[in-house]
Amino acid sequence: MRDYEVVAIFQPDLDEASLNSNIEKIKSWISDSGGSIEKVDLWGKRRLAYPIRKQLDGIYVLFKIQMAPAFTNELDRNLRFLEPVMRFMIAVLDE
Amino acid sequence: MSEEMMNEQEQPMRERRYMARPKICQFCADKNIEMNYKNIDLLRRFVTEEGKIRPRRQTGTCARHQRALAREIKRARQIALLPFTAEHWGDYR
Repeated sequence: MRDYEVVAIFQPDLDEASLNSNIEKIKSWISDSGGSIEKVDLWGKRRLAYPIRKQLDGIYVLFKIQMAPAFTNELDRNLRFLEPVMRFMIAVLDE
Repeated sequence: MSEEMMNEQEQPMRERRYMARPKICQFCADKNIEMNYKNIDLLRRFVTEEGKIRPRRQTGTCARHQRALAREIKRARQIALLPFTAEHWGDYR
């Protein structure tokens, strides 16, 4: 198990309910793989530094998680196929 | 006599010209600075207006911290916290 941080940027026009259901979906993927979620930080709507999918804003969600390094590939693929996620990043938390 | 005066005047001039500005790496000086891709206000000081990473000779950062800084800036760019270039907006603005 290692510490990771996952940042996901959702489409700005997503409503509260579907945002939450998507967050829950990501959380369940991680916990189903044997990982654990330390914290979910909802940054809310932010202006993007450059447009993504012709959108100027995005809803940022930060997950602090622990998961097996081998699961990163699968999480990457799952996030890629999650439609409302415009952009995501999985980063190892070092130090 | 007058020549001596000249020399005396020249001396400090030259010294000033060659005086190396003391460069101290901010991150070495203060170990508590939190350098990560989420700290955009900090990272923004290390990129130019057009979004390029500032060279070490401008910021005085040590080699080790410059590497870490570059990594975090690149991460921040990936998730649109920092721009890759200034001219990304185009028609959208």
